[in-house]
Parts: sequence; structure tokens; C-alpha cells
Amino acid sequence: MSRKWSRRRFLPLAGGAAAMGAAGCGRGPRRGTGAEARVAVLKAASYSQDLVDVLVRGAALCGLDVRGKRVLLKPNLVEFDSGAGINTDVALVGAAIEMCRRLGAAEVRIGEGPGHRRDTLFLAEAAGYRGRLEGFDQRFVDLNRDDVSPVAGFADKGRIYLPNSALGADLIISLPKMKTHHWVGATLAMKNLFGLVPGGVYGWPKNLLHYVGIPRSIVELNRIFRRTFAIVDGIVGMEGNGPIQGKPRSCGVVVMGSDLVAVDATCCRIMGIDPEQVEYLNMAAALGQVDAGRIRQMGERPAAVRQDFLLIDEFRHVRLRGIPARI
Amino acid sequence: MSSTYIQARREWLLASQNRDGGWGYFPDAQSWLEPTIYAMLALHGREEAKAALERGWRLVRGWQMPDGAWRPAAGIDQPCWATALAVTLHCVRGAHDEPFRRGVRWLVGTKGAEGTLVNRMLHWLRPTLIGHDSTLLGWPWVPETTSWVEPTAHALVALKKARAALGVGGLPEPAALGERVRTAERMLLNRRCRDGGWNYGNRQVLGEWVASYPETTAVALLGLHGNGNFDRDRALDGVVRLHGQTRSRLARAWLALCLRTYGRTPGPVEVDTHPPRDLMLAALETLACAEGNHALLGVEGRA
Repeated sequence: MSRKWSRRRFLPLAGGAAAMGAAGCGRGPRRGTGAEARVAVLKAASYSQDLVDVLVRGAALCGLDVRGKRVLLKPNLVEFDSGAGINTDVALVGAAIEMCRRLGAAEVRIGEGPGHRRDTLFLAEAAGYRGRLEGFDQRFVDLNRDDVSPVAGFADKGRIYLPNSALGADLIISLPKMKTHHWVGATLAMKNLFGLVPGGVYGWPKNLLHYVGIPRSIVELNRIFRRTFAIVDGIVGMEGNGPIQGKPRSCGVVVMGSDLVAVDATCCRIMGIDPEQVEYLNMAAALGQVDAGRIRQMGERPAAVRQDFLLIDEFRHVRLRGIPARI
Repeated sequence: MSSTYIQARREWLLASQNRDGGWGYFPDAQSWLEPTIYAMLALHGREEAKAALERGWRLVRGWQMPDGAWRPAAGIDQPCWATALAVTLHCVRGAHDEPFRRGVRWLVGTKGAEGTLVNRMLHWLRPTLIGHDSTLLGWPWVPETTSWVEPTAHALVALKKARAALGVGGLPEPAALGERVRTAERMLLNRRCRDGGWNYGNRQVLGEWVASYPETTAVALLGLHGNGNFDRDRALDGVVRLHGQTRSRLARAWLALCLRTYGRTPGPVEVDTHPPRDLMLAALETLACAEGNHALLGVEGRA
């Protein structure tokens, strides 16, 4: 049995969930959409530095316009373990709120629908969100238990139900942690949209997504939600057996951009992962740029900040062999 | 816990009922089956809630789908795990009529999809991927997906209550029902974590042990109520410990409910007298009180 066969057949089996039907869809040459993508890579050594300044500079480099918009910040809030660095750091979420305010957003809310834990507010409290983010209770929406509306077409399903707070936002800013992932290689801005799927309809975990196929579900959600921007918390990421049981990895960067495919591809290169070997990026050709030649890297060059994140055995083959010097 | 505590929650629930008769997870939000049923259980038997409970009952009855399952909310055309809660509510109200029987039939016929031949073969080829026996099937959150701890535990409560009320012979498909209960109990025990509790449903992933959660540990033990094939006292000692440690209000409510169901008294914890904005939590905290309707989630509980 070849590695590729086994990996693509087995990896969607989280919790015994088979999802093989979609595993082979969308592969082929990665040409992406026509437009060149801009992705900003900014150094940020720690969470105690002026992150608002970092984000405002990044927003300018990417041409982010939030004036008058209702913005939903979608951090990655999964489990709480004080030493593991699982969640998007509260300092970055706070900086994103302030960045939106300075840039003229009409409204900034925070929403998350954790995949395993039912007490979302407890997670938010444990991760420091509730204590450190001003007006948290008014800003926060538990997307697992929000009102929902049907959206036609999700993979081979007739429809998917999604939270009104996400469907009604003018802009969703995906704020993931830069992490390896034991089923798909890496979890970044695109997979972070799993938290938009309501547990109230699909459960804890949202097992339907595993049956559809994790890569395919990532692509489908990003096809539905197109008014998005990404701010990736790579200040301290997670390596090894992510997204929960890995080890913290200081990487010292924030990665930003409006093309989430390009942002994820850039993050992969920074993590020492070949984005062209990551299945969901392979399937996302119609949504954005994976090809380094079509990504305009702003700020730091990925090669200059590259840190090879430890990978579990199943993903050794995605290790990036090198980055062309020009990027 | 003072009577003010439980009274404040009952009043909050009554004041927060939606016009359609249901309850949302939060005030002024759409009604969902899950918080509606917990609110109805929390208010069950209260004279001042009589009219509210009738409105809720009409809504619940109206949400049953043609196949016997219940939808999770108005306008969502798919069956859901909370059918188990609807069956439990029917037992509590003594409504053992045709809609109840169709609900029982749906539960008996719905099982996790991990038991397919292809999935079993994949598990055989790669046993370290998950650490449990995937041939032991419980209930999924939504049909055609894997079985998980929480929906399985609630289905067990519902079917055991139905069996206690009517006897096996009085229920549809009695042999299949008995087999489902036995297998699902084995499934829960098989998925127990190394620390003695349960998480959402995986004890090991890629060979690594996964930690349990307090809330799912409590719910799993509710599902196992009446089963004598596990170290119950050690498990309940763990629940007492978790109840004293956890900072999650939801977990604390489920743990207290679990302890009371097994005849134990939860230790004192710091409580917020004000009811939470979260209506499902308010209902569970009401149920979990010493004066609350916690017995309704036990196998034989009926007010």
C-alpha cells in the first residue's frame, strides 16, 4: 500500500469517521485565480510587544479596508491548557479589535464554535478572553448555538446550516493559531472556518465535516465565506501532534492577507511544509494562490523567517525541501 | 443552595420562553429542541409553569418528523440526536402514544456509521488511529456519522426510561431495543479514558491517550445508570473531585445532576445566585438543585 493511498484514505477517520468520497476531488495543476495575492509577514517577537502597530502595518500592506463594516473576528478556541498554546492568544485578538476600531469598522464581534467542548464561555474565560477583552460579553457570540439559516450546496449535501452572525458579517477575519494538524498537515486560516459550523445542528464534534472529508469541507466553507481576511498567530505556534497535543513552537511572526489560500500557503512555507503537498490547498485552486510565483510577499520573506515545525510520521512527506531565494 | 437560587432560575426560564412555546439557547433567540426540553424538565410539575409547559409541549409535538425523529429547531429539515431528549420528555409526561413509539423506533434504528464494512476494514488495517472498538455502536449526533459519547448517553437514558415505564414487551422492537442498550453501554465503557472519565468519544488518537472532560464524564455516567459492570464508586469519586475543581458552570451542573442521580450529594461550591443568560445552563442548574427535578433524568424518574 502506498503512503499516499493510506494517508488519504485514513486521515479523515477522526474518531472512526470515514470520509473517503471526497478525498480525491479537485486535484490537478494549481493555477489559482487570476489575481496576484498579497500576503504580509510581520515579525512579532512576543505577545507583550505593540501588536496593534504590527497589525495596522500589516493591514496597510495588504490594503485591508474595514471602514463601516460589521466585522466578525474568528479566533481559534479549542481546548484550554495553559502550557500548550492551543488557542489564538488573547493579546492578538485584543490587537485585532483595536486595529478594526482604528481603521473605522462599524462593529467588531468575536465568534467561535469549538469542535469538542460545549461550554464555550468557559473556554473563553480560561483562555483569558473574558477577563482581558473589553466588553467581551457584548461582543462574543457562541457560534455553536447561534440562530442559523440554510445555505444551498455543501459538497454533495443539499444544504448546510450556518450561523446568522457569520452569514450577516461584512467581513470575517480568521484569526487562527499557526499549528500542525494530525489529519491534514496544517491548520491555519482556512481550516479555522470549521468553527463557523454550528454544533447545535451538527454536534460536538462536527462529524459531518469528517464524513464529507476534511480537505473538501475546508474548501467548501471557504467557497461559501468569501468576504474574509486572515491574521495568523505565528508568534508562538504548535508543532508535532497538533492541533491539541503538540508542543509550542516560537516562530515570531504574524501573517496577514485577504487571500486565505495564499496566507495558508505562505504559513506552510514558514513552517517548513510544502503547500503543494497539502491536500486541501491542492483542492483550493479556484479560491486563491498556492504558487509562490503568484503571491506577492510583503514584509519579511518566508525563507528568512522559516522554522521547520516538527511533523508527525504521517506527514514527513510534506516537508518543504527548499524555498526559492526570491521568496 | 437557597430557594432563591432555584426560584430565580425558574422565573428566568418562564420569562424567557419564546412566543412559539420553545426556548432558545439565549433569550430572544430562536427556539431549539435541546434547551426547550431541559427547560420543560426543569419546570415540570410546577403549578405556575402549567401554561408555559403546555405551549412547550405543543411545539415539541409539532417538531416530530415523518420518520419519527425530531428536528433540532424550526426550519431545520434533518433528524437529530435530541430525539432522545424528546423521548425522555414523553416518558416524564407519561405520553406513551404513537408519536412516542415512532420516536423509540427511530432511536432503535439509528446507529453510528463506523460499523460499516469499509470502516471496520480500515480500523483493522490501522488500529492505532483510534484506540476504541469501532464495532460497538452507539448513537451519532446526526444520522450517517459516527457514534459519540453524549448522544449515546442520552439515547440510553431515553430507552431505559421507556423500558422502565412500559416493560420490554410494551415497546416497539423489544429484542432490538435490548440489544442496542447492551451494546451502547459496552461502547461507552470501551471509550473510557485512562483517567477514568470520558471525553467526546475518543480515548486514544494515533496512539496517544486523550484526556476526559468533566461534562461528558457526567453525561456518560447518566447513560450508564443502572449498569453494574463497571467500577461505579471509583467513577463517582472522580465526579465528586471534578465537581469541586471545575470552573465550568455547565460541567458543574452536569456533574451535580450525575451525583444526585446516583444518590450522592454534590459538595458545596461557590455559586452565582443570579441565573445565567444561557438558558440551557439555567435549566440544567435548576434540574441539578437538591429541590430540582434531577430525578427525571434517572432511569425511573417520573414526576
